[in-house]
Amino acid sequence: MTNVLLILVSGIFVQNFIFSRFLGICPFLGVSKSIPTAVGMGVAVTFVMAMASAITYVVQYAILTPLHLEYLQTIAFILVIATLVQLVEMIIKKVSPTLYNALGVYLPLITTNCAVLGAALLNIQNGYNFIESVAFGVAGALGFTLAIILFAGVRDKLRISAIPEAMQGFPIALVTAGLMSIAFLGFSGMLNV
Amino acid sequence: MKDKIKLDWGIIAKYGFILLAITVVCTLLLALTNRVTEPVIAKQEEQKNIEAQQNVLPQANKFKKVKNLDEIKKEVGADGDIIESVDEAYQNDTLVGYAVKTTPNGYGGEIQMLTGIGTDGKISGISILEQSETAGLGARSAEEDFQAQYRGLNAKEPVEVEKNGELDGNEIEAISGATITSTAVTRGVNTSADAVDKLEGDK
Amino acid sequence: MNFKYLTNGLVKENPTFRLLLGMCPTMAVTTAALNGVGMGLSTTFVLIGSNVAISALRKVIPDSIRIPAFIVIIASFVTIVGMVLEAYLPSLYATLGIYILLIVVNCIILGRAEAFAFDHTVSESLMDGIGMGLGFTMSLTVLGSVREIFGAGSLFGFSLFGPNFEPVTLMILPPGGFIVLGLGIGLINWITIKAEKRKEAKAEETSTSQEVKA
Repeated sequence: MTNVLLILVSGIFVQNFIFSRFLGICPFLGVSKSIPTAVGMGVAVTFVMAMASAITYVVQYAILTPLHLEYLQTIAFILVIATLVQLVEMIIKKVSPTLYNALGVYLPLITTNCAVLGAALLNIQNGYNFIESVAFGVAGALGFTLAIILFAGVRDKLRISAIPEAMQGFPIALVTAGLMSIAFLGFSGMLNV
Repeated sequence: MKDKIKLDWGIIAKYGFILLAITVVCTLLLALTNRVTEPVIAKQEEQKNIEAQQNVLPQANKFKKVKNLDEIKKEVGADGDIIESVDEAYQNDTLVGYAVKTTPNGYGGEIQMLTGIGTDGKISGISILEQSETAGLGARSAEEDFQAQYRGLNAKEPVEVEKNGELDGNEIEAISGATITSTAVTRGVNTSADAVDKLEGDK
Repeated sequence: MNFKYLTNGLVKENPTFRLLLGMCPTMAVTTAALNGVGMGLSTTFVLIGSNVAISALRKVIPDSIRIPAFIVIIASFVTIVGMVLEAYLPSLYATLGIYILLIVVNCIILGRAEAFAFDHTVSESLMDGIGMGLGFTMSLTVLGSVREIFGAGSLFGFSLFGPNFEPVTLMILPPGGFIVLGLGIGLINWITIKAEKRKEAKAEETSTSQEVKA
């Protein structure tokens, strides 16, 4: 239990997927223009990452390892994720059209969000068990959500600031993210076990 | 309510077949590459282990795995979990020391390391095999300067980490900004010393 | 040969500084110049392989199943690169870690497959792959060099300033990645804007002088 708690806290703050591992930067920069869209993306990613962590764990230990097919790991995982994203899209469309309308645009983007594949690969690399894997997926996704919402808030303010022409848009966004990343470095002393 | 979408099984079969064909070709290619690279990787790994063993116990020329690893782990207690293997090191049939492989948790995950402890009760050297610590900070634990600090320290009492200030007694200087890594490596060393202690006590 | 496709990726459509693609590996592995080169060349290999394979198969792969087909092809090339690196360059493999496998989801690769290779000939796609790959490698090497010089006082592992240099460790920590890339893109924008203004000014000058003549 403490282990799971440790994974959660470390994944959200100390080893934040965006600010410390550089996983999921593309959607972080692309979909952080306003707070509501950031929240939508965060929810969708959390859902997919938790499911993906669970399924890839089963694929790895029930299929790949017993058959000595470890070298098919990358292909298998990315196909699981791509299928999962499609499935989630179809289910949400059927079950809750309102949610689908809110998230629809972001769902296909998740396949190429390296945070999802990254979490799946890191689970195996770190030798996590099933519960720890799911916890790691959820923690990573919550960290991603936290980062993207905070960043959307900052970008709201950036829009009304006077910025030199050359730095407008992405450059100033990246420098801002760098400063936020410094703030997150402050968490690194938190888990001094 | 029924969906009005008609499924054209001919198209589905055709597309399915194309995808299957691509996947089969790709898998064959991968299997082929795997066949070529797998032995090279295994050899690489073995070479790395041998080099590390010679690095931590230069005088030894023969290594033998101890059989009662599980007992030793149990005797060491909670920290016993991080012990991977214990090897007895011989120089032409005389026991000169032990090489202990441990996996303490650092900042970025497990650190795989080997600790050499001589029969004289001194640490004869350590070697970091694998680590994923922060570049420029914890990753510097893989540098010779840091590892050399452990050489010659007393294995009979725990090694301590000094953050800033004078080194006295059984201490090493932490890598600046990477206390977690330094502590983790030291924990690996101390656990190894513990294991050797228990092993020698059993005899 | 189609050299215009080759230079395209190097400067005009540089994937890092112009198209802003593949940001994760760009920042994650550029803590040293050599890592940048290694990551860039690995990506180049995958890009060339997938571009050529996909353009060769473009008549066979039906439109509606192209994405899964692309993903399988790309993932295969990535796995091959991973295995070869682990076998022959283990230290580089250890440094780059999971970012090697994450080339699969690098938007540059799928992006070029979709936007270029699927409707161009094999030789054109080959050129595009080389150009884009080298453009990416170049950017990563530049970023890696800047971060290594400031953050560790060395370049390609060779110490530059002697032992008394106190490195700005922040530069090789995660924040350094964001900041250096941001300032880099800003610098290139600034140069482009300046060049454009000069061009405009020149054009205006010639048009006014023509008016005077008339």
